[in-house]
Amino acid sequence: MIHIQHYLVLGATLFTIGAFGFLTRRNVLVALMSIELMLNAVNLTLVAFNRLHAGNLALVAPGGRNLHHGGQMFAFFIIAVAAAEAAVGLAIVLALYRLRRSVRTDEADQLRG
Amino acid sequence: MHTLFAIFPAQQFALIAAILGLPLLGAFVNGVFGKRLGRDAVRLMALAALFGSFACSLVAFFMLRERAHELGHGELAPNPRLVWTAWHWLALSGRDALGSVNVDVSFAIDPLSGVMMLVVTGVGSLIHLYAASYMWDDPSFHRFFCYLNLFVFSMLVLILGDSMPLLFVGWEGVGLCSYLLIGFWFTEEKNAAAGKKAFIANRVGDFGLLVGMAMLLYYTGALDFEGIRRGAGGLLDPRGVQVWPLGAGFPSWLVGWLPDGIEKGLTAQRLAFPATLCGLALFLGCAGKSAQIPLYVWLPDAMAGPTPVSALIHAATMVTAGVYLVCRLNFVFVLSPAVMATVATVGALTALFAATIGLVQHDLKKVLAYSTVSQLGYMFLGVGSGAFTDGFFHVFTHAFFKACLFLGAGSVIHAVHARIHDTDASQDMRNMGGLRKYMPLTHATYLASCVAIAGVPPFAGFFSKDEILAKAFETKIKAHAIAGAAAERIGPLWTPPDWLGPLLYFVGIAGATMTAFYMFRTYFLTFWGDFKGWKVTPGWKEPGHDEHHGHDDHGHDHHEAFAPGTGRDHLEGPEPHESPSPMTIPLVILAAFAVGAGFLNATILGETLHAPELMTMEHWLAPVFAPSKGDVVVPAFDASHAWMLAIPGLIAAAVGIGFAYFAYVVKGGEPTRNIAARAPKLHQLMLDKWRVDELYDATVIGAVDELANTAVVADKWVVDGVLAKASAAFVGLFGAGLRLFQTGKVQTYAAAMVVGTLALTVFFYLPHPDASITSDPATGTFRVQAGPGLGYRYRWDADGDGKLDEFDSDGDGKPDDKFGPRDAIEVKLEPNQSKQVTLAVENAFGRHDTRTITVARPAQEQPGAPVLMPRPAPRPPPPGG
Repeated sequence: MIHIQHYLVLGATLFTIGAFGFLTRRNVLVALMSIELMLNAVNLTLVAFNRLHAGNLALVAPGGRNLHHGGQMFAFFIIAVAAAEAAVGLAIVLALYRLRRSVRTDEADQLRG
Repeated sequence: MHTLFAIFPAQQFALIAAILGLPLLGAFVNGVFGKRLGRDAVRLMALAALFGSFACSLVAFFMLRERAHELGHGELAPNPRLVWTAWHWLALSGRDALGSVNVDVSFAIDPLSGVMMLVVTGVGSLIHLYAASYMWDDPSFHRFFCYLNLFVFSMLVLILGDSMPLLFVGWEGVGLCSYLLIGFWFTEEKNAAAGKKAFIANRVGDFGLLVGMAMLLYYTGALDFEGIRRGAGGLLDPRGVQVWPLGAGFPSWLVGWLPDGIEKGLTAQRLAFPATLCGLALFLGCAGKSAQIPLYVWLPDAMAGPTPVSALIHAATMVTAGVYLVCRLNFVFVLSPAVMATVATVGALTALFAATIGLVQHDLKKVLAYSTVSQLGYMFLGVGSGAFTDGFFHVFTHAFFKACLFLGAGSVIHAVHARIHDTDASQDMRNMGGLRKYMPLTHATYLASCVAIAGVPPFAGFFSKDEILAKAFETKIKAHAIAGAAAERIGPLWTPPDWLGPLLYFVGIAGATMTAFYMFRTYFLTFWGDFKGWKVTPGWKEPGHDEHHGHDDHGHDHHEAFAPGTGRDHLEGPEPHESPSPMTIPLVILAAFAVGAGFLNATILGETLHAPELMTMEHWLAPVFAPSKGDVVVPAFDASHAWMLAIPGLIAAAVGIGFAYFAYVVKGGEPTRNIAARAPKLHQLMLDKWRVDELYDATVIGAVDELANTAVVADKWVVDGVLAKASAAFVGLFGAGLRLFQTGKVQTYAAAMVVGTLALTVFFYLPHPDASITSDPATGTFRVQAGPGLGYRYRWDADGDGKLDEFDSDGDGKPDDKFGPRDAIEVKLEPNQSKQVTLAVENAFGRHDTRTITVARPAQEQPGAPVLMPRPAPRPPPPGG
């Protein structure tokens, strides 16, 4: 039997790996992949909670049909946003590469004070 | 007439909107579109606006006459008024919470403003017509008429405005237009400087006017003229005013070291009547606008503007605004005999002083300018003597003859321009002469106006000036009855000594003699003899004389003569010529009024012949001046006495004209040259206008310059240094510190975000038992309210036994020891009692925390003041454990 805890632990692990990757890796592409990992960790959590609360009586319509798809809806939104982010992010990476001939984040510090 | 009153009822007299609106429209159209419209359209717009306004004014004036007849013409006839309230403007709070003072944008035509309105639009129309021809070749034709129309609009606001603030709007508006028009040819430094001078001298006066307005608001509780009249008694407030720093307010550290006598003298209680201070402040404003000592210096320089401007603004209308204000507020001025005496004395001195300068000037317009200053002095002498009607009547007649003189001078300058193209040389009377035969119409009208201003009967100037002088001699201002109440505290109201009136009368006679002389000097030098303009042409040689005599025409003294032998056979190029008809028609009309207008108020004739129709003006203005009538003591008319007083005036005119004729026509200028040669220093001093400008430069302007230099230092070190640079450096320091955090590296920001998120997580993970206390002082009940949080549930120890109380937390009717939703408890306390309450909180993560709160009630109740003394307490054992 797979319980909610399993999903949550998996989500937390993925998120931590993503966050750790984002903080430590200097390659923008890897950083983008880390962000992707964090987003999907959140997606997993949302879907898991949605599944958990599907049996909540207060949210179930008469007749037993599960009407509560909020978590899954959020997951879809996040997938859409992630796609847009990837497109914009990769365009920025390309522009950065043309500007500096490099995709290292520690070299892209033009906006420092 | 009936229909007209049906359309324009007296209390909502919208015709005023047309009178005011047309010149404003003209200014707008000419100012915004003038350049594209072309000269013809600009002229049409400007003239149509003015003539339309004049036509409306005429209709309004006759309606006012009708209204006056309706109201009756008895001794105490109410003031007939046609009022138009455009909109509510503002409300000011009055003194001592007397309530609010409403100021409306409201205009009124009454006998005084009605006459003035006719003069402004009538003379204004004629001068517009004249100027359309005079200024035709100017590249800024449209700009000129924009300003001129705007001026007429502002002047009408000044006149028709029914309250002091509105009058002030007009007052500033005409000042602005005056500035713009004096500096109309601003490419020449001298003209721009003259405009600035006029503007700044007027600012000094406006300061006085503003102070006067504030005092009127404070003491009379109103700013509209009707309200000021009703509350004028407040200006004789028996409490008086102390003028800082004189009197008890003198700072003691400043005078403490002085000998006792002087110190006492400086710090002794000294009070003045508000009426005196208010009147003096208002008169300062009048002196600025109407060019009286000490602020007259701007008016002669104002002649730098085009001649029609000099005629309209600086002779006929704007400069008389000060006299108009005194007439309008006659009931305020008359309250203080000291102010009236000041007005009369300053007027008489200005009349004499300006006349002495006018005696020797060579520039035709300068002479006329000093003549204007001098005549304004006569007007103030009149109103200051309590002869408001006569002072105002002189405004009326002066508008005609002085406008005519200025326009005549313009016509002469226009003619002389045929030969002389230099501005200064074309106005120099030494280059004129003999113009009689070239321009007969200008000559005739100029002569008529000269006769009028010189005071030859029966021309207009005689009746107005003679009556002013006679009234100055015999009229007295008596202290108002209310002032007696204040005698104990302030002392009696000062009244001038009896010899002041006769003295001013003789000063006036002396001035009148000079007036007659210098006016006829200009007349003879300009129109008689032979034209000397040829001499200015380069290469000109006087026939039959030595070569070296030729060009020497820029010294003084010996050029006032008519050099013989400059016959017409030597001329080359165009001759001087009469001006075109649009310029001569206004001259003729104005001259006609200069000749005949005197019969509107020929008091001396009217009284002698018992013919009230010769005193129309006095009768007409009586309701306006009725409020001040009680304080002006006029002796009963005595024909022999009146004619005795008139004779010195007649002699003055005869002597002045006779001497001018003798000196310039019979002797060819020799006598005046001899006099000048005998006292060369005095002559030079008068030629330099008594060097008053230089005096002001050395004193007032020098002081202001020094002040400015000091301010520059303060600006450089304090404002720029300490305030700007030091504070910028201080802020910059923080900036430099904060800049270290902005690395531009995306991972640093992400790390900061992670740290912040962790901090928030910790904050929300831990429970926070916080509470606020509110008290009800009446019952001594204190309510302890716990703060909300994520999933918070509470337990309380309200009885102070150290254990958490049992409540029914889950709603099953039985008390239990679980956490519940109860987030507040009430504690009742006696005075000076205190109690400890413990609050325990459990949050969504099942974490607990407690806090002990002391609730105390002070012995002395301070109503409404909550008492909050939270104190962290040692943690009690975990509940339920």
